[in-house]
Amino acid sequence: MPTIKIDGRTIEVTKGTTLLEAAQKLGIYIPRYCYHPKLSISGNCRMCLVEIENAPKLATACSTEAAEGMSVFTGTDKVKTARRDMLEFLLINHPLDCPICDQAGECGLQDYYMKYSLQKSRFRQEEKVRRQKRRAVGPHLVLDNERCILCTRCVRFCAEVTKTSELEVMQRSDHSYIDLKEGKALDNNYSLNIADICPVGAFTSRDFRFKQRVWFLKKTSTVCLGCATGCRMTAHHNENTIYRLVPLPNSQTNTWLCDHGRMTYKAVQAGDRLSKGVIKNGLIDLEPALREAATRIDEAKSEAAVLGSPWLSVEDNAALARLAISALKTVNFCFEFSSGQGIKDGILVNEDPAPNTAGAGLLKAAHGGVSLEELSGRIASGRIKVLVTEARAAGLVKTALKTSGCRLIVFAQNRSEIPAGAYATLPYASYFETPGTFINYQGLRRRTNPAVRPADGVKPLWNVVNKLAAYSGTSLGLDSAENALKDIKL
Amino acid sequence: MENILLKDNVADLESYFASGGYKPLKKALALNPARIVEEVKKSNLRGRGGAGFPTGLKWSFIPQHAGCLRYVVCNADEGEPGTFKDREIIRKNPHALIEGMAIAGFAIGANHGYIYIRGEFSAEAVLLETAIAAARAKGFIGKNILGSGFNFELFVHRGAGAYICGEETALLESLEGFKGQPRLKPPFPAVKGLFASPTVINNVETLAAVPAIVEKGGDWYASIGRGKSAGTKLFCVSGPVKKPGVYELPLGTALGDLLEKSCGGMKEGRRLKAVIPGGSSTPVLTAEEARDVKLDYESLAAAGSMLGSGAVIVIDESQCMVDLLRVLARFYHHESCGQCTPCREGCGWIEKILNRLEEGKGSPGDIDTLYSVAEGMISRTICPLADAMAMPVMSFVKKFRGEFEAHAAGKTCALRTALAGKSEAEPGSAI
Repeated sequence: MPTIKIDGRTIEVTKGTTLLEAAQKLGIYIPRYCYHPKLSISGNCRMCLVEIENAPKLATACSTEAAEGMSVFTGTDKVKTARRDMLEFLLINHPLDCPICDQAGECGLQDYYMKYSLQKSRFRQEEKVRRQKRRAVGPHLVLDNERCILCTRCVRFCAEVTKTSELEVMQRSDHSYIDLKEGKALDNNYSLNIADICPVGAFTSRDFRFKQRVWFLKKTSTVCLGCATGCRMTAHHNENTIYRLVPLPNSQTNTWLCDHGRMTYKAVQAGDRLSKGVIKNGLIDLEPALREAATRIDEAKSEAAVLGSPWLSVEDNAALARLAISALKTVNFCFEFSSGQGIKDGILVNEDPAPNTAGAGLLKAAHGGVSLEELSGRIASGRIKVLVTEARAAGLVKTALKTSGCRLIVFAQNRSEIPAGAYATLPYASYFETPGTFINYQGLRRRTNPAVRPADGVKPLWNVVNKLAAYSGTSLGLDSAENALKDIKL
Repeated sequence: MENILLKDNVADLESYFASGGYKPLKKALALNPARIVEEVKKSNLRGRGGAGFPTGLKWSFIPQHAGCLRYVVCNADEGEPGTFKDREIIRKNPHALIEGMAIAGFAIGANHGYIYIRGEFSAEAVLLETAIAAARAKGFIGKNILGSGFNFELFVHRGAGAYICGEETALLESLEGFKGQPRLKPPFPAVKGLFASPTVINNVETLAAVPAIVEKGGDWYASIGRGKSAGTKLFCVSGPVKKPGVYELPLGTALGDLLEKSCGGMKEGRRLKAVIPGGSSTPVLTAEEARDVKLDYESLAAAGSMLGSGAVIVIDESQCMVDLLRVLARFYHHESCGQCTPCREGCGWIEKILNRLEEGKGSPGDIDTLYSVAEGMISRTICPLADAMAMPVMSFVKKFRGEFEAHAAGKTCALRTALAGKSEAEPGSAI
């Protein structure tokens, strides 16, 4: 347990702790480009040089381990000069195309220049090294080698995290550049993380490019519902439009976010987003759609069934349970879903594609109900006349529904989700628009936060359920999401 | 005194053996390995590749616990401009190197050795292969050497032409099949070197001196030379002297003696202007400074330069310092591995400034910029390549600022104009 001093402040750290990490613990920020806490140490950018007492040379804080009695200085003139010099070196061959660069506003070069340099360029513009620009290197990324500072975070990410090693540094000296290895494309399911960890505008997201200046973006932390891993993430949005999703690193689930998860926001603002009801194939206003659905439910009485959904929040599943028990007074309800659980790609993607299998199980624990097989059996045998469920959950009983003559009333967000043969479809608010509680495969409870407002008339699912119950003559008294949860032990 | 390394008529195994070769190996195999390390320590032999690190000390860093693989690697990637001594040893005395490696292997407990030889040395690589095969046939290399039970296999690995692979950790990367780029240190090769195992890396000249030390003792070797700079050193003299070439002399020999006595002085009509004493990356000395300096680690350090690889580059009055530096900058710009920011960007920048000064497009401010770019590079990178660029720049500018100013003001290279048409004094011909 070496004890060291950084800028005169003493700290005891575990053996193997680097100076950069030790400084971070003291709240002292040391600038860095190539260092990333989740990647191996490269030590190439030389931005983190610090002064160590009695050492002849400056040392890289990212790679130097704390040793007993070391006295480190992070703000001496020697250190400041070194930082300024590094920035000058990094900028001489940089195109300085900030006005048309997507990274502007969140660029390591801009930020550090303002903080550590503010020096005028002594380099002649016409002598800059030219490199390849605007090259699509995969489905999600564009690479501009002129902006690259060769920190090799991207190379190490592909080698160490995804272990796919698509990238390498070609050539040497100032004509070095990042390139795909022969025959490869940067098409792994984590490629967009590279746009995040690239400290400059070399790798940019094809999806996000030129859509929005980053300083206009507002940030809402929420949960990814792409699978049962339930990664924490931040939605970046402006004027009621989401522009991108980025990981919110945490020790429990994720440092990164998969490309699949990052694209989940697309459905929210897709052209086929439902803001009205659908009866058979015809769009109608929500109220008449609700009335029609309620009529069919009333006809069926206790021969109606409710199937919860592992894609819905605990609150919305709770509302569906209340619908079954209090309004329909049926025993035909199911909140029991099973799926393999666990990380299947060694990084983040879960075997269970639904985000809330565990959360739906809470309703089963609270209210019982029948198993999915049992419900399927009852549907297939024609004993169920109407099934109320969510669009993707309907897929779980697809075969049973086919020949049964059972009317399907589904909740869906997008028209493309509506299962074939659905009788009535009711729109509801996405979890980017309304809060919801989800329980991931580890049993971690996480809540989504609304980043945008739903279209007029689109309400949270619990609210739609409340109305549906009202039209069929029962007041569920659901006036808030919390209220729906009242008999659930979270 | 008698040469230790550069001998005539020992190139083939028979004559090497006849002159007492491989006796030191036999002697060593009968000793305790730790004794050999002690003897090398006592000899004060220091790394001849340029850094001058004590060889015995380096060997003693190798962990000796059982069950760990260890390697001896010979750095024969002789690439420092002006240096051509290792090639001479390989040509004239290859068995001294082979024997030295086997002794080093025995001393540190390594059963495998690699000679990483510069790619351009194709004839020398063949020569080494042949010499190793001959040594193997006689049982000096291979299994159970001379009945001692010690096994030592030796391989020749050819480089692919990168200067940076002369840096020991870049050499290891290249030897392992990766792109030749220096590694972060620590861990040092003695702890985690080739294939992540403890490794000793020594220069050709260092290893070739080992048999004589084992044969005649560390004290004998330490008595040659001057102070802590023990033994003989090969000096590669290039430039306008009467007899350029490789000379083996005791360390501490005066530079003036090397140039006057060994090399026969300057060519007719040439006047000494400057000397780069230890290979292109070492700081230049003016004629004045060069006159009295002694060629050993300490004296050259005191004079503000380095012994380096022992490549003595002689520069006369007819040569343009700006152009010479430009040639160097072109080299380092080309050879920088591109890993560290200051070296990757700085070497190219320096070349660009020198290009415009030389082409008459410079301005007086360029000289200070040049100097400060070099200052920005020095001591701030993973390996010393940035220093190798910065040190000549800083010393050239400091000591010959007048020539740089003339270029910046006169908008042309006066020397080049004066020399136009004289083919013998092509600018840059010294390097």
